[in-house]
Amino acid sequence: MTIKQTADMTKQSDDVIVKTLSRLLIPFMQIYALYVIAHGHYSPGGGFQGGVILGASLILLVITYGLDNVLRMMSERSNTILCSLGVAIYVGIGILCIILGGNFLDYGALAKILHVEVPHARSLGILGVETGVGIAVMAVMLSIFLDISTGGLPSNKEQGQSD
Amino acid sequence: MEVTVLVQATYKSFEMLDDARDRAKQILDIAAKLTSETQAIHRKRIEAIFTGAKQTKAKIVKFISAFIILLGFWLLLSGHYDVFHITIGMLCCALISYLSYDLMFANPRTGDMRVIVKRFIIYIPWLLYQIFLSNLHVARLALGPRSLLDPKIMKFKSKLESDISMVTLANSITLTPGTITVDVKDGVYYVHAVSKKVAEDLMTGDMEDRIAHIFMEADHVYVQDVLDMAPIFVALK
Repeated sequence: MTIKQTADMTKQSDDVIVKTLSRLLIPFMQIYALYVIAHGHYSPGGGFQGGVILGASLILLVITYGLDNVLRMMSERSNTILCSLGVAIYVGIGILCIILGGNFLDYGALAKILHVEVPHARSLGILGVETGVGIAVMAVMLSIFLDISTGGLPSNKEQGQSD
Repeated sequence: MEVTVLVQATYKSFEMLDDARDRAKQILDIAAKLTSETQAIHRKRIEAIFTGAKQTKAKIVKFISAFIILLGFWLLLSGHYDVFHITIGMLCCALISYLSYDLMFANPRTGDMRVIVKRFIIYIPWLLYQIFLSNLHVARLALGPRSLLDPKIMKFKSKLESDISMVTLANSITLTPGTITVDVKDGVYYVHAVSKKVAEDLMTGDMEDRIAHIFMEADHVYVQDVLDMAPIFVALK
């Protein structure tokens, strides 16, 4: 019963106002999220905040256009892969710094392979780590929402079979 | 004796000629059929290539326009105009426009986009003036006697067709003080109006006519169209 009540959230909305406005706004939300991620080392924001906005845009897409349309664009399998890829980028840059002779996440060591000055290398290292954080947060946000809204079942099809 | 042999030989040669002609005719028929078939197949292939090219061209146009709009938005947000940041911006815009160009341009416009944008910009001051007038009216309602209030929910069928024009009308109604769009279902609007005057203003359909004019919908001749045409007639005279 609880599954049936919450599953309506993942159906396609029939409100023309909500559908049209979210259709027009979602690309701008996504570009704003990427802006927040890319300018995290100059202005307020960063990987987590940008990732949350990116995840929110995908959640809005699920609410208005239905789960099936979003899963066609990004399946749960690729979502899980993105989730681990983000963490892998973060840890990978940290361990790369250890290999190059620094501490964990000591971005100054990256100057040796990037062929730039140490401050610039730190800026680029932070950008790389924030990209990883952003990807991971976006994927985790979407996966939490999908798990809650579908009652933990992978897709609508299997849900129909279990009823 | 020799004559009969000659005649027989002549007959035989005639028969052989007829045979040869029939066979040649058959071969020609088959050849013509084959060429027409291959032509049809070729034509189909060429048509398929053309339609594919047309679809690809539409996709590329959508992608590029989404890219330009998003890059403009990015440059507006980002205060850093060096090579590094603009490169990141272009990469991000390419990614997002690849993912969601079909969201931004979901239904193809029949009208000219430049005309729609121009008419929409002309529409905004009129809408602001209407908001100003309704503000005065609602202020008088708030300060005046209670008997002026007559809240009710109205229902009317709209002649607008596309989703974007319906959304523009719904949001214009909500932006105007005193009226709120409660719901839009299959082109039927449910609007809450706070007094008789705002309800009557809405039911004249002036706002709807103007929005239909912006998005070039619903086969009606509007005052604005006639006004647009007037200079041409003057020039012709």
